[in-house]
Amino acid sequence: MEKVFVITSGKGGVGKTTITANLGCTLAKMGDRVCLIDADIGLKNLDVVLGLENRIIHTVVDVATGRVKPEEALVKHKTLKNLYLLPASQIATKEMVSPEDMKQIVHELYPNFDYIIIDSPAGIERGFRNAVAAAEMAIVVTTPDLPSISDADRVIGLLESSGFDTGKIRLIVNRIKPKMVKRGEMLTKEDIVEVLAIQLLGLIPDTDEMVIATNRGVPVSLNGNEGVAQTFENIAKRLKGQPVNIEEDIPAEKLSFVEAFLRLFRRTRG
Amino acid sequence: MFFGFMRRKKKKSAREAKERLNTMLSTRKRTVPVEEILGERITKESVGDVEHLIKRWAVERFKVGEKNVKVEFEEHNGYVVIITNITFD
Repeated sequence: MEKVFVITSGKGGVGKTTITANLGCTLAKMGDRVCLIDADIGLKNLDVVLGLENRIIHTVVDVATGRVKPEEALVKHKTLKNLYLLPASQIATKEMVSPEDMKQIVHELYPNFDYIIIDSPAGIERGFRNAVAAAEMAIVVTTPDLPSISDADRVIGLLESSGFDTGKIRLIVNRIKPKMVKRGEMLTKEDIVEVLAIQLLGLIPDTDEMVIATNRGVPVSLNGNEGVAQTFENIAKRLKGQPVNIEEDIPAEKLSFVEAFLRLFRRTRG
Repeated sequence: MFFGFMRRKKKKSAREAKERLNTMLSTRKRTVPVEEILGERITKESVGDVEHLIKRWAVERFKVGEKNVKVEFEEHNGYVVIITNITFD
């Protein structure tokens, strides 16, 4: 099984960093030793989503320049003792790290972890090439809108041309709004999979939970095992090769009293 | 008649999005790793022969004449992009 993943997308703002943090937390909750690497040098955010921004001493640039060893730069998570972050620097630039540096860093960390997840920056330039260099599997994130899907398609092409087999590329569709899909006002998962032609790994619904969790610096997957936390658990299980039905990713719709009444009325009438 | 006009169904935006997506992506070119075509043969010394090798590969693969294959090199974002146009009779 693959143990080094890169979370990428092409387009910015689709939720790569949030997914990296939550997937890392979920795998760590399951008992795995997990290392998250922030490859978004200059525009780092993974530490903020994890609530570790005040604990950073060394960064991936310090490791790449040989100032410290990878283990010395790792930041341990506050509550999950088997989850570590190799943070990015805010003042450095992506050009200060090369794809070869990244391969070397992952190579040194590899024996100490069950999973290494690399958070790629947006774009398809140096930062992207650094992030994908050491990955064994790529997880492409898209939202159900045209610019995001179009960029995801471009990234899949680039991944294939840089040596990734199509079977080693998975898709996560983020911010799905089931009600809009039902009304025919949002692309369905089938539409997206049909055009991108890669295997679907998970569907993440658009919920307020995610925003609140980021505000608090506590990933949503650490808030119990319901809702989106359950979605991330399903995704983690699929990564481990366990079969989990994709339909289980979208929690059952909670209806208000008025909605339930109207639905009952419509059904009776129909 | 007025109410009939009001009730006329609008095209769902997801359907419109799918049509636009198909148009956008069907015109996109997919890059192919140059090693897939050239194998181990690409070295500093053989760079000059790249065009000839691609032409030969395209002639064999698509069963066309050498004059039907046009190879161009372009640089995009630090990458050398090889564009091959094949004209089919």
